[in-house]
Amino acid sequence: MPYDDLRAFLDALDEQGQLVHITEPVDPEADLAVAANAAARMGPDAPALCFERVTGYPTGRVAVNVHGSWANHALALELPPTTPVRRQVEEFSRRWESFPVPPEYREAPPFLAHTLHGDDVDLYSVLPLFRLNAHDGGFYVDKAAVITRDPADPGHFGKQNVGIYRLQCKGRRRFGIQPGSIHDIARHLRSAEERGEDLPVAVALGNDPVISLVAATPMAYDESEYELAGALRGAPAPIARAPLTDLDVPWGCEVLMEGVIKSRVREIEGPFGEFTGHYSGGRRMPVIRIDRISYRTDPLFEHLYLGLPWTEIDHLMGPATCVPLLQQLRAEFPEVVAVNAMYTHGLVAIVSTRSRVGGFARAVGLRVATTPHGLGYCKVVIVVDETVDPFDLPQVMWALSTKFNPADDLIQLPVMPILPLDPSSDPAGISGKVVLDATTPTAPDRRGRHTAPVQDLPGTGVWLEKLRGMTDRARR
Amino acid sequence: MICPRCRSKSVETVKVAPGGAWQVHQCTCCWYGWRNTEPAARTVPERFPEEFRLTRQAITDAPELPAVPPLARPVHADAQGAGDER
Ligand SMILES: [Zn+2]
Repeated sequence: MPYDDLRAFLDALDEQGQLVHITEPVDPEADLAVAANAAARMGPDAPALCFERVTGYPTGRVAVNVHGSWANHALALELPPTTPVRRQVEEFSRRWESFPVPPEYREAPPFLAHTLHGDDVDLYSVLPLFRLNAHDGGFYVDKAAVITRDPADPGHFGKQNVGIYRLQCKGRRRFGIQPGSIHDIARHLRSAEERGEDLPVAVALGNDPVISLVAATPMAYDESEYELAGALRGAPAPIARAPLTDLDVPWGCEVLMEGVIKSRVREIEGPFGEFTGHYSGGRRMPVIRIDRISYRTDPLFEHLYLGLPWTEIDHLMGPATCVPLLQQLRAEFPEVVAVNAMYTHGLVAIVSTRSRVGGFARAVGLRVATTPHGLGYCKVVIVVDETVDPFDLPQVMWALSTKFNPADDLIQLPVMPILPLDPSSDPAGISGKVVLDATTPTAPDRRGRHTAPVQDLPGTGVWLEKLRGMTDRARR
Repeated sequence: MICPRCRSKSVETVKVAPGGAWQVHQCTCCWYGWRNTEPAARTVPERFPEEFRLTRQAITDAPELPAVPPLARPVHADAQGAGDER
């Protein structure tokens, strides 16, 4: 059954041995971030952590690494925890086919249990805030769903956006927010600021695991994250109307903060250790004023450690980045088989495709770089044959080793757009891009000597099963 | 008290832990926030890493992200002005 809130998912993780309760007292710094950092180094079945006793926060409980491994990502989609990554991406993609699934408005959201208004709002009292990386400019909230509407079309449900943006706590009721220029929220803000109006905003913290996944998915501008959540859950996503802003918010969230992004205001923000594995900062960014905060009794503060990859964010964004790229490519090129864009949110993307005609793989590669997500990512695109699994890096390396001839198979694109957080972009936001064609040339392209490939021997599959059975029995 | 990052005196104590285990301070000039129990490199101006310090000039000169767009002209002005631009 789908999880309607974070608590239900933590219970499920607990049952599967994928949640560690830390009951000893810990300090907000550096214990919380260091433990979360360590959890990210535990490998494909790393657990989530729940800290029950944080010094100075009598009721504060902190959950980290909730999506921080392939096992937990699988459980978020209600798959067995041992499901291979490629299989998880395929299932994500299969469920996307039933998009859109309209959400369900539910009454009496639990976050209405407690409310503070106006100057009584105190983020430092409600949230057990703490620093993540040593040189962060402050305490951040980095796994909340931020919800805004298009001021030019406020009644359009699909244009309402649900996204995760870094939020720097700058006071009892003040956040700095980073709305990247290519993100939907920046479009909403621009529209509001052109009118000289504040942009109403809701920040929902501590959500069911599918809400975090869809908030991390680069969807088309007019597609609703809630309608994708319904498709991924296989049931309508429960939502509620936010009491102050009337925005549609996740029904089960732990804490709901409402207010406005102040019109035409920019303030210094950062730095913040980002998903690129580098600090970013020194820009003046928009500011949120919180006018109302609502929260469940003893709210859970869900947080995400990010730093040197891989960390939780790579698991959260990985499949969520592969699937829309696959969908967009297949819409025009049905020959595309699979996309692995899990590296730093798709700065590197690997695509496998059948060939329609000589040169086809290059056309596919160039299309990757010009998809909506490709505008800000897809700096290195590797195209491989349909027989190569892009999630199996040794196979990809084999294709690069033997199919790729740098003389002709490297297509360089100078001065392309990229997200400014890419530390190699110069100036920030501008980068070269490259397509590496590691496919077998097809006629009339007859370069190379690829006509005599060695295949796995017939019957290998049968023997593989037999040998696995024998070794399993021997190990028992 | 001064801000360990920009040395401004505009620092607020925004939270004291119940029982007094720590205090959180916030600079309203560069918006740096810290807890008094953090290491000296995060709390003491002299020990704050050089490359992460901020001057008033750097704060003012920082680029906007995203840039504040020009105000849209009211609809009637659009209609009048359209001819001038062609
Ligand atoms: Zn300062």
